Amino acid sequence: MNYMPGTASLIDDIDKKHLVLLRDGRTLIGFLRSIDQFANLVFHQTVERIHVGKKFGDIPRGIFIVRGENVVLLGEIDIDKLCDHILQQVSIEEILEEQRLQQQAKQKTEKAKVTALKDRGLSIPKADNLDEY
Amino acid sequence: MFRFQSLDEDCTLEKEEGLVEEEDEIDQFNDDTFGDGAIDDDWQEEHKRLAELEEQKNDGLGGLGLGALGMGGMGGGNASTVHLPPPASRERGGGDLAESLAMLILGADPAIASVGGPAGPGDRSTGLPPPPSVPQQHHHPSQLPPHHQLTSYQQHQHLLRRGAAPMQQMNSHNIWENNMGFGPVSVTPGLVTQMEDSPLMSIIKEVGLPNRPPPMMSEDERDLSERAPPPRSSSPVIGSPPVRAVPIGTPPKQLMSHAMNHHQQIHHPTTVHVRAPVHHQHRYPPSFPERISPNTLLNIANSPLCRRPFPAGVGPVLSQIHRAQMLNSQVAGFPRGCKGPPLLPGGGGFRPFFSQPPPHRMGPHPGGPPTNHNHVPCPIIRHNTTHLHPQHRRMLTQRMQSRGGYRGGRVGDWRSRDPYSNLMTQREKEWVAKIQMMQLQSTDPYLDDYYYQNYFEKMEKRQERDRDGVRKEHTTKLITPQVAKLEHTYRPVQFAGSLGKLTVSSVNNPRKMIDTVVTSRTDDEVRTTHTTISPDSCVSRVLPFSLLLFFVFASPVTNVHHRLTRLFSSICPPLSCRVSDEQCLLIMSVRKGKRLISRLIPFLPPLQAATVVMGIARNLPALAKKDKQDQVLCWLVEPVAVVISSLSSASLTDLLQELQGTEGQLSRVLQNKFGVTMLYLILSEGERMQSSDLNCQLMDDNRWTELVFSVTRELLNVPPSSLSPPLFTPPNLLSLFSRYVDRQRLELLQEKLQISALSR
Repeated sequence: MNYMPGTASLIDDIDKKHLVLLRDGRTLIGFLRSIDQFANLVFHQTVERIHVGKKFGDIPRGIFIVRGENVVLLGEIDIDKLCDHILQQVSIEEILEEQRLQQQAKQKTEKAKVTALKDRGLSIPKADNLDEY
Repeated sequence: MFRFQSLDEDCTLEKEEGLVEEEDEIDQFNDDTFGDGAIDDDWQEEHKRLAELEEQKNDGLGGLGLGALGMGGMGGGNASTVHLPPPASRERGGGDLAESLAMLILGADPAIASVGGPAGPGDRSTGLPPPPSVPQQHHHPSQLPPHHQLTSYQQHQHLLRRGAAPMQQMNSHNIWENNMGFGPVSVTPGLVTQMEDSPLMSIIKEVGLPNRPPPMMSEDERDLSERAPPPRSSSPVIGSPPVRAVPIGTPPKQLMSHAMNHHQQIHHPTTVHVRAPVHHQHRYPPSFPERISPNTLLNIANSPLCRRPFPAGVGPVLSQIHRAQMLNSQVAGFPRGCKGPPLLPGGGGFRPFFSQPPPHRMGPHPGGPPTNHNHVPCPIIRHNTTHLHPQHRRMLTQRMQSRGGYRGGRVGDWRSRDPYSNLMTQREKEWVAKIQMMQLQSTDPYLDDYYYQNYFEKMEKRQERDRDGVRKEHTTKLITPQVAKLEHTYRPVQFAGSLGKLTVSSVNNPRKMIDTVVTSRTDDEVRTTHTTISPDSCVSRVLPFSLLLFFVFASPVTNVHHRLTRLFSSICPPLSCRVSDEQCLLIMSVRKGKRLISRLIPFLPPLQAATVVMGIARNLPALAKKDKQDQVLCWLVEPVAVVISSLSSASLTDLLQELQGTEGQLSRVLQNKFGVTMLYLILSEGERMQSSDLNCQLMDDNRWTELVFSVTRELLNVPPSSLSPPLFTPPNLLSLFSRYVDRQRLELLQEKLQISALSR
């Protein structure tokens, strides 16, 4: 049954493997099992994939329910094309370690930048990327 | 949810017995005490049954430890039952312990819903079925239909009580046998194919089954410690409120099967501790409650049915598979007399994540449970599934039903193999789609959704081009719902017997504060009470004139006359020597009109010009009155002067007469600057005529003289203050007056004139 042809209704995406990018930057991959009118998503056999450079690691998460407002984008994954030529899968520990290092490096550069600006008398308020109040 | 009883040697049987019986430890939510588990009227019957069986089967399995018994003791039934079988078995020796246990488990356990009571008594005599490989479920094909009517737990209990306690296991296997299968598996086609879509089965296949337990025979020493704890039905969490039948926030209300209605009464799900032997061939299992979740299915299968107390290593997952198989076999039926619940291929651990696509090892099963689906509407309550959420059960039933019709046409083949597919039912999808469509209601799609409309048009055109219109219906068009044209006017709520309009209002129906009614006066209703000339009508008449006048000047000379004629005729009705007063007044009442006339007059032919001037003179008082605000009559002076100077004596006289007009007009004229000026102009012209032209006919009739006399009279009489100073005073007036008046008056007139001249 063709639900709402010509639209971006998610109904036809059900039971397919999807990749979703959330607003906090996480990438989840899972089978989309259920939706609702707010585009809340129910993911099954979810895996959180962390990318650092050319490496990635999968953390199995089980069942995820994502509130619709937190979705940035959602795309179907072709199961048959499941090979990652460029990316290299590593273990979870390794990827977490890599991520930590990456965060650290970023913080360092940020700090250095802020200090440099401060020395010159400029202060740029840090952009608040997260919706934290 | 499941109180998994670990039945090792430290089995706390006594403790649990004590638990049940101690009054001060009563748990209100404990089903064992107060709920379904507390039915304790069976044990006597059970005991009788078992006793009979024991005597019959002396050469039974033998050697079975009480561990088996203990294991079998879990599940349905009640606490006190536990006490009896073990002693009974012990009396008869280990040989028939297994028998009794099997019977107990298969027969009396409410968790294993028995299908077909009548089979019970009849089977008593059959004794143990032949060794495991022979399925017996096909022996009682006729038993199915009546038992599909048995849906309630109570009915099931009834069956139990009927004491159908043959040694019939679900698949006619020895319960001790590995039909539940631990271990890598021979996939017995029947069950697996029945359940090929069930999440559970595929999971089971993936997971593989736990290893076969070592035979029970050697477990004599485990005795009391291994005894099964009293059967318990579990509340999900002790102390928690009962499970809601329909949880809060459920979207579409699922259609409840008949069975479910009964089940709603049972709020506490019972554990799936299968204890009692199944009554008889479960050839026709009650259909699965719809869509038991895979985990719960596993739990269901986790009956310690044919297990002895587990080795510690066996985890819950594995044991659940037993339940799954048992359940599944009951659910799916055995259409081809297959051996029993097929064992799933061992697949290593449970692989919940899709690093590989879910393995599908089930063979295609074209047959499907043959008659199962016909009778689905009233599934027999599976007591081992009572713990399931009603919706789960329903959904599982639904899925089972849908499986039956699904043949061939494997569009999304992987999807059909996906055990978790179709978790979202068709109804739910439609519900979401409906909500989404509601947002698309629009009265003007081109306004609301311009880009979509354009995109769709382009797409259609492209398709037509590509396919030459052969397949017109290729793309389905999204048909958005049309907004119903509802009556949106406010109708105040009126209740009978009340006075007036009550203050009943809501967000959608706000109360009107004031009963205002829009009334607009139509043009018919506009009536002028007095003959006022609205400025609008004047301007509307004048404007075309100005346009015409413009065209007069703009156009080539040849057309001038024609246009002028037209212009004039609009003022003056054709073929009449008088300017229509009404028209003239209208035009002259506006400033623009006066200017227009002043511009027009020079271009008019003399006769027409004279006519116009006459009209002006005639209506001068009115014009003067109207002109009070604007004071622009003086624009007319010049053209009028020109006209006057060209007038003949007769017309001059006429003009003077017109000016004087009715009684009292002259005084008004004198009050007006223009009037005075005009008067003087006329008189001066007359004088000029007289003085210049000896043959002037001005004096021929007396009119001129009389008129002049009246003018002089008026001039003399008018107080100086009211005499308006003219624009200019022609010099020859005195000489004119000197002809007519005596010296005394002449001097007075002179004074008047001078006053006016001086005051200018």
